[in-house]
Amino acid sequence: MSGSGEGMELTQERVDGLVVGDDHHASRPVVGHRERVERAEPAAVFDIADLSVSYGDFRALRDVSLSIREHEITALIGPSGCGKTTFLRCLNRMNDLIEDARIEGQVRYHGVDLYDPRVDPVEVRRRIGMVFQKPNPFPKSIYDNVAFGPRIAGFDGDLEELVERSLRRAALWDEVKDKLKESGLALSGGQQQRLCIARAIATRPDVILMDEPCSALDPIATQRIEDLMQELIEDYTIIIVTHNMQQAARVSDRTAFFTVEVDEANGQRTGVVVEVAQTHAIFTNPSDERTEAYVTGRFG
Amino acid sequence: MPRAHFHQELERLERELASLGDLAATAVRSATRAVTDHDEVLARSVIAGDDALDHLYLELDQGVIALLALQAPVAADLRLVSVILHSSLHLERVGDQAVNVAKILRVTRDLPANPTIVQQIGEMGDIVVEMVLTAMEALRARSLELCLRLPTMDDPVDRLNRNMHFEVAKLAGDPKALDWGMHMNLASRALERVGDNAVDIAEQVSFLLTGEFREFTDASHPGGVVADVD
Repeated sequence: MSGSGEGMELTQERVDGLVVGDDHHASRPVVGHRERVERAEPAAVFDIADLSVSYGDFRALRDVSLSIREHEITALIGPSGCGKTTFLRCLNRMNDLIEDARIEGQVRYHGVDLYDPRVDPVEVRRRIGMVFQKPNPFPKSIYDNVAFGPRIAGFDGDLEELVERSLRRAALWDEVKDKLKESGLALSGGQQQRLCIARAIATRPDVILMDEPCSALDPIATQRIEDLMQELIEDYTIIIVTHNMQQAARVSDRTAFFTVEVDEANGQRTGVVVEVAQTHAIFTNPSDERTEAYVTGRFG
Repeated sequence: MPRAHFHQELERLERELASLGDLAATAVRSATRAVTDHDEVLARSVIAGDDALDHLYLELDQGVIALLALQAPVAADLRLVSVILHSSLHLERVGDQAVNVAKILRVTRDLPANPTIVQQIGEMGDIVVEMVLTAMEALRARSLELCLRLPTMDDPVDRLNRNMHFEVAKLAGDPKALDWGMHMNLASRALERVGDNAVDIAEQVSFLLTGEFREFTDASHPGGVVADVD
């Protein structure tokens, strides 16, 4: 992984505090109050170039290059084993937690090499939050679930206000405001997932990664999460892995189609990106015949 | 998992559309011949046969709505569904124009016919039937080259239709001949519309094949300016 840190100066305001030893932590922009700038094309939050990921001898993902644009929902679709989740986990360095994972290529976050040795992975995960397939609230009260991240990060403002704001933003406040001391685990599946989103929001992230966030939810709860995503996109950038192509079509601005290539020599299966385009184009007139075959159900 | 049932249903609808195309082309051919040959039996069969055409159109329409509701087609499948929906309506209208032409025989059978005009009606009928068949073959063969032939095929039809007005005007000295001629002008207009419907179907097939909708001809820009629609 390149460790040059090149380009950091270009986006200093956006990355203050990301690098260990940086003393601008307090001056980072408050997510949610960011000035909206009219642009013909949204700025890139992530620029990924030639990204390959291996677990030991197994290469899970090869030569992925794509950009993730600010205030857009990007959907990652593709058959099982195509590396979607592996790719998602590269974006907040979750793969660091896997012992034999090896990352090659570049992941630039607002121009900063995310894998620069000087970058603090904890701070990365605060800015780039994650919501998982199965709702995973802590076995704590609803309030403490949301307050957990800010407390760990040393938040010294009005915690009650932050908890309420996060729960309101996650469209959960009205349902839980009278039982904040009750266990998060007592909530329904859909409420638990929104609690997890509130928990992610509470640390004032820039990006929310969602790994099949609705796969364990019923259609009503799924609809609420999809509606919530449309509201959150005003303030955040969202990347969602989904097996539900109609969900990708419904919620996302851009879609990246991943597929699996099989090495005929050794039978090894590796994920690659086939096509990244406006979601409308992917579902009406995809450029690559492999995308066409997948979205029309002729393959996979 | 491949969507076998969905694709079988889509193929069935495309086959039904092909049948609708055959029925519509046959109706126009018969209606034209009925007028040029004074064949009342043929004219009645065209009028009676339109119910079958309408029935098939409604079946296709319901089939498409069911596919959209139940299967949420995308990409080339979605474009094919759109082509079936639009083209079936064009073919239903082709059938209606055939009925219009066939009905003209009823009101003109006792009037004096003009051989030049009869010949031109026959010629127009032959060309537009060929246009409908070509557009449907373009769909069957997924041929952009065939689609692009349609505007050229339509040129002589438009020319004959414009000329019909002058041919009819020549009959002004004989009220009965003029009465007959004015009805032939309506028949000419109906056949010209069939040609336009065939061009519209070819545009739909072109959309299926390229993913971009493109009007081949545009009546509001007769200078040949062609509109692209994203």
